[in-house]
Amino acid sequence: MRLSERSVIRSVVVMVAVLAALAVPGRAFGADATTTPVADLLEAADDFDGATITVEGELVGDYGFRDNGTMWTQLNDDSYARKAIVDGGARTGANIGIGVRMPAELGEGLDPVGGYRLEGPLVRLTGTWRYHDPDRAGESYLDVVSMVVVEPGRRIQEGPDWTVLAIGALLIGTALLMRWRRRRSTATE
Amino acid sequence: MLLRPEREDLRIVAFALGRILTIVAVASLLPLAWATLGREWHPFASFLMMIGLFAVLGQFGMLFRPKTERLDWSHGMVVVALTWIIVPAIGSIPFVFSGHYGSPLDAMFDTVSGLTTTGLALVQDLDHLAPSLNFWRHLLHFLGGQGIVIAALVLFAGGGGLTLYYGEARDERILPSVRSTARFIWSVAILHLVAGVLVLGVIGHQFLGFDWKRAFFHSLMIFFAAFDTGGFSPQSTSLGYYHSYVFEFATMVLMVAGAMSFGTHFALWRGSHGAVFKNLETRTITTTFLITVGLTFVGLAVTGAFGRIAGLTRQGFFQVLSAHSGTGFSTVPSVELASWSGLAFGGMALAMGLGGMASSTAGGIKSLRVGLAAKAIATQVKQLLLPEGAVASTRYFQFGRKRLTPELAQSAMTVALLYVVLFLIGAGVAIAYGYGLQEALFESISAGASVGLSVGVTDPTMPALLKLTYMFQMWVGRLEFVAVFALLGFAYAWIRGK
Repeated sequence: MRLSERSVIRSVVVMVAVLAALAVPGRAFGADATTTPVADLLEAADDFDGATITVEGELVGDYGFRDNGTMWTQLNDDSYARKAIVDGGARTGANIGIGVRMPAELGEGLDPVGGYRLEGPLVRLTGTWRYHDPDRAGESYLDVVSMVVVEPGRRIQEGPDWTVLAIGALLIGTALLMRWRRRRSTATE
Repeated sequence: MLLRPEREDLRIVAFALGRILTIVAVASLLPLAWATLGREWHPFASFLMMIGLFAVLGQFGMLFRPKTERLDWSHGMVVVALTWIIVPAIGSIPFVFSGHYGSPLDAMFDTVSGLTTTGLALVQDLDHLAPSLNFWRHLLHFLGGQGIVIAALVLFAGGGGLTLYYGEARDERILPSVRSTARFIWSVAILHLVAGVLVLGVIGHQFLGFDWKRAFFHSLMIFFAAFDTGGFSPQSTSLGYYHSYVFEFATMVLMVAGAMSFGTHFALWRGSHGAVFKNLETRTITTTFLITVGLTFVGLAVTGAFGRIAGLTRQGFFQVLSAHSGTGFSTVPSVELASWSGLAFGGMALAMGLGGMASSTAGGIKSLRVGLAAKAIATQVKQLLLPEGAVASTRYFQFGRKRLTPELAQSAMTVALLYVVLFLIGAGVAIAYGYGLQEALFESISAGASVGLSVGVTDPTMPALLKLTYMFQMWVGRLEFVAVFALLGFAYAWIRGK
């Protein structure tokens, strides 16, 4: 009987713990125990200085291969990293991103970087967070040592809005007609 | 007795507005062409709609041909103030249809911010925005910074140019006629455009490793935002995206050029370097810049934000220059900027409020007014120390020796005071919504002085009234009050006049 009570109590404790874990506000997409959400990183950037961390997100902007054998780009860890607005994703505010530097050979062969009508590759980067790096006159960035591609990049389709197009064409036609009539009446006067 | 504007007054205003809107419609063909070349058909449709609306309204206004095209002072001011309302309203159409804005108000917020060369932004998922829409955002800086109405002055002759010119907050005519002055302003801009885009593009390719196409895309966007002291950027991390002091340095040169008055550009172009460095305005801006840089450096050193002097110098110098020139670029995230407290906050806030030179694309109180106000205060103190009956007179040098009259001193001080009131209004509204004093003041000065630096208050989720307040601050701050007061007076006379 006592054993049974203990097991009930243990079950309740486990259930409460599970419920409490579920009640924790949602972290950035894909975040698990080993990844650090970029929003948290930016909020306490100083605390992470020099730490080896893993972040996950979409590579956006450009791949800047520099002469010193490094490649610079930006990693975004926000809702758009998985579904951009152009792709029908929800609006959740501004982008949340950090600069990343990696050895050039790591960046070679990656899918096109994220941008308009392009979801960049979704990657998991591990490296050292350098906050106000004295060797780069105060820049903050992730110095990447390893990368895992979680999802390849992909193209997004976006066609014209035919209603807007038709209204635009109609307005321009009206303006040209008004101009023609005004010029004709001026010439007549 | 207050006189109600006559039908002829309205015809004059409508006709001038019609002409300006037609010119804006023509300028808007540029992003349409960009969308066509990039096969961005969704933005293409919305650009077509925007151009169509500009053109229809333009042609409609031009139906009201007045007996005389000569604009008097109040007509010109009203035309300018209305232009700066109508253009952002219609110019926001492509943003509304892009899906990147939470509401039409947010889209108009960014258009006002772009046109007034402020740089505060409510765009969401900027990093996936269509290049043509990004181009339009930055082109708004160029149109607003150089002056839409000034562009119109270049393209069409007609009476009333002077009042339109002054209406856009420019108070020095460089050449004998307003039209030739307007042409000079646009020539300076085009010259800088070619040189700036070339230099930034080459840096982008050679130092940053971008391909040529992307290098020139970035260089064009950053040029518009730097030279017109705007502050928008094509990527969400602003200038911090580039991780290059070479790129930052080239951008700083453009920011300084943008914060310089066109009179100074003209003097430098003619080789009158001596006069430029003797000017009250140059000396004032140099002094205030050194003071604000000093304050910020000490503030950052005290908090130990940067471990070494190199980091403190590079980051501190860039942020203060960005603030003082009214640009609004940053190389640190807004969450970090928000942590700059004490003297660093004071230095930044002061730099933003003081602004650049008069008749430049920068906002804020402006250095000439600051210099004149300081001289006037010094004269008052001197007067108190002189024997009874003696009169202290003050002269200053601004492209020649001039006497500081009481009227001039009063005018400078009044405008400075109005700016302080404008900053306090924005801060007051934000505080009423529960924001902290420091962040409320920072963001308000940034909006009123057309800077664009943010400590995180400007966000799509902020209250609508606060968005409207910042929009009002950007509009009034850019036009330096006069045109806005004229519009309010015109409207009041229309309602209450006889």
